[in-house]
Amino acid sequence: MLIEVFGPGCMKCQTMEKHAKEAAAQSGGEHQVVKISDYAAMVARGVLSTPALALDGQVKFQGRVASADEILALLKG
Amino acid sequence: MSDGSLQSSSFRRGGWLLLALPLWVFLYAVNHTVSEWVAFRLLGLTPKSHLGEAVAFLFYDTPKVLLLLTLVVFIVTFIQTFVNPGRVRDALSRRRPGLGNALASLFGIVTPFCSCSAVPLFIGFLRAGVPLGVTFSFLVAAPMINEVALGMLFAMFGWKIAALYAGTGLAIAFTSGLILGQLHMERHLEGWVQDALKGPAVGELEEETPTLSARIELAVQGVKEIVGKVWPYILAGIAVGAFIHGYVPESLMAGLLGKNHWYSVPLAVLIGVPLYSNAAGVMPIVEALLGKGAALGSTLAFMMAVIGLSLPETIILSKVMRPRLIATFVSVVALGILLVGYLFNAIL
Repeated sequence: MLIEVFGPGCMKCQTMEKHAKEAAAQSGGEHQVVKISDYAAMVARGVLSTPALALDGQVKFQGRVASADEILALLKG
Repeated sequence: MSDGSLQSSSFRRGGWLLLALPLWVFLYAVNHTVSEWVAFRLLGLTPKSHLGEAVAFLFYDTPKVLLLLTLVVFIVTFIQTFVNPGRVRDALSRRRPGLGNALASLFGIVTPFCSCSAVPLFIGFLRAGVPLGVTFSFLVAAPMINEVALGMLFAMFGWKIAALYAGTGLAIAFTSGLILGQLHMERHLEGWVQDALKGPAVGELEEETPTLSARIELAVQGVKEIVGKVWPYILAGIAVGAFIHGYVPESLMAGLLGKNHWYSVPLAVLIGVPLYSNAAGVMPIVEALLGKGAALGSTLAFMMAVIGLSLPETIILSKVMRPRLIATFVSVVALGILLVGYLFNAIL
């Protein structure tokens, strides 16, 4: 799955990216983590508050750091 | 993770929370006695001496502020799990000025907001048809009426000062948004923002409604994250507060920040703007200032300048606004803070 992490680069966004990578590694499947820090791209995707995370193009979390477990549950779900 | 292990872990969490509350009450109750014992017995400092009073303040205020912060952040984060920026945006879309500004200011208090979210939120609002002036009301209210600061003020100084802070903050956010909306400054947005605004509005994001235990879990996470992040600011604030408490004479404070001089309010704002602190970090300073006879208007202006007009946020916003719009935005808000300071120095 394509995991996109949206954030301009503040602490929270970096934590979210780290959690996404941990979850991707733990799930064992084929996943790709991409960080998007361009504001125009975030706006185009409808992200209102950062950090946000999208799975295969669907925004799943925004405005908070999701834990690696939460992301893992979505990857498996 | 199976459902069974999820349930047992949330039961364990619930048990911890039930234990945490009496522990909290106990620590809060013994704090004053313990701090005096440490400062005057254990360290052998003289009560009423400069050093003794400063150290007692330090040992009293650190646990007190941290305890209050933990409780306030827990409650605030729990409430925030009910607020979703997407729904706020839709509620403000195509509102006329006036009512729109009032709603935006109110939403600004409760919406979870971090300054690195300011840009996507700003554009997302405009793109969904929220007027520029209404968006500004939100952008002023969100940092200025900080929900943690509001809770801390209530816990430390009572509901009157908390209400004064919220009321004047709302008035500033409402009025500055109204004024900025009348100035029609849309053309002073950066070029790429104007392009982005021409795109179609983005559809509703589907987000699941969290369960009660998920909300509690989020609140616990919020406490860990926020208390873990702001404690250096709190220690710095307490150190400044302890210094003021122990060493700065009342006559000096009443002279500088008292209510009888025209310069005390601008001075408070000038000191406050470059000081980038957290809402919680500024509380011990506010406590010490008020204790030393600084006027309430000056102190309120100082606090709003520290929390509401921060340099980092201005820098972030300069990515979407041209200098003239930024300058207008900062001046209107600063003017509002000055007026609030003068008003309360005059009537209280």
